[in-house]
Amino acid sequence: MEDFTYVDRAMSTQQDIKISARGVQVYYGDNHAIKDVDVEIDDKTVTAFIGPSGCGKSTFLRCINRMNDTIDAARMEGTILIDGEDIYDPKVDSVQLRAKVGMVFQKPNPFPKSIYDNVAYGPKIHGMARNKADLDEIVEKSLRKAALWNEAKDRLNAPGTGLSGGQQQRLCIARAIATAPEVLLMDEPCSALDPIATAQVEELIDELRQSFSVVIVTHSMQQAARVSQKTAFFHLGNLVEYDDTDKIFTNPQDPRTESYISGRIG
Amino acid sequence: MNEHISSAYDRDLESITTLIMRMGGLVEEAILKAAKSLADRDIELAEEVRAGDKAIDALEEQINEEAARTIALRAPVSKDLRSVLTVLRLAASLERIGDYAKNIAKRTSVLVGMSPVNGSDAALRRMAREVEQMLKDTLDAYIRNDAVLAEDVRQRDQEVDQMYNALFREFLTFMMEDPRNITACMHLHFMAKNIERMGDLTTNMAEQVIYLVTGEMPDEARPKDDKTAFVSDAG
Repeated sequence: MEDFTYVDRAMSTQQDIKISARGVQVYYGDNHAIKDVDVEIDDKTVTAFIGPSGCGKSTFLRCINRMNDTIDAARMEGTILIDGEDIYDPKVDSVQLRAKVGMVFQKPNPFPKSIYDNVAYGPKIHGMARNKADLDEIVEKSLRKAALWNEAKDRLNAPGTGLSGGQQQRLCIARAIATAPEVLLMDEPCSALDPIATAQVEELIDELRQSFSVVIVTHSMQQAARVSQKTAFFHLGNLVEYDDTDKIFTNPQDPRTESYISGRIG
Repeated sequence: MNEHISSAYDRDLESITTLIMRMGGLVEEAILKAAKSLADRDIELAEEVRAGDKAIDALEEQINEEAARTIALRAPVSKDLRSVLTVLRLAASLERIGDYAKNIAKRTSVLVGMSPVNGSDAALRRMAREVEQMLKDTLDAYIRNDAVLAEDVRQRDQEVDQMYNALFREFLTFMMEDPRNITACMHLHFMAKNIERMGDLTTNMAEQVIYLVTGEMPDEARPKDDKTAFVSDAG
């Protein structure tokens, strides 16, 4: 007789808190882009940020790996802790931080290098491999995790830019996870992909949840519903509602959330 | 509730609601006519109820198709999702209530050849009126998004249960008094049971309306008073 293991996704057990944001404010010059956001993001969970364009969801995502540091006009207040450690502490090296908090962008942006070098780049600069064999192993493991190994193993020296859009995005995911991050930020990772490639990336996101805390910004309500366990709805820089995804999509508490997810005039 | 950005979506949902209300109207009518046909020994009216069930069944099918189409094309969420789930369940309950009315009409056709059993026709008619009123209020609660009215209906099922209990004992007594009453009383008992079941289904519908409005099924146990399952003899 076969043994069946039935895992109920809805019955996700209580997870540890990975990221904890308190009183986060972001200003771009005079524009108050994020208004006093408090949020706790669970480990080994996919958290979706949804909301209309300009609501601050991407801005908030970029606070989590200090990407906003690179924008001169941007100013941030409040604290963000990862594993209880303040990532805006002056002692924190933002390059090290970004190795721990990987990011995947809307448009696949592989380096103009070979598939192998795209993935090997991060581990190399962070000194994660002692020799070529180590590096080979990291590259293979990352490509396997990103579900690209079978398609790429015979052409590791071919340029990454020669892959299809969906493959390029999986390559970028492989590159992001090669440095063994703990948090993976994804800013609309499927908006440039066709439905098949989207389904592959979504399947991958669900697998990545075993090892990482994944935070995804998406404009597709259906995608948020499909891939995430928690959903945060942003509107005009405020975090309006944050709850279990099934709760948000069956019985949201705030009328603004209700209007947005059901496509109503808010 | 605000309008959808897509006005066709609003029109789709409204048209399903209209179908439910039409179906509900037909079912209310079927209940009243079935009870009247028994009281008046009116075979033609009973026949009308039996024939009318086809229209009710057809509406259920149409509602199922429209709901499936809406799910496939609109991927409804939140209140929209609850309203599509609700119409499916309301339509299924209405269809069952229609079947019970049809069954009463069938038995009426048999009963016309027998002498009436002391006062039971009037009692059944009162019970049917009570259930029809509950159904009417449930449909009003549905169209007005009124959870308070739906909760009121839910509480009223107890009265129907009590009427059924009383009739059950009455029929039992008549049958023991005179075995010639048995055939008629068996039919009348099934009719009473049918109406009692209609009350249960209407209560389910009222609970569905509460879910539609609040997002949560009422979990607090509602009062139930059908105790006939525990009756061992006429005493």
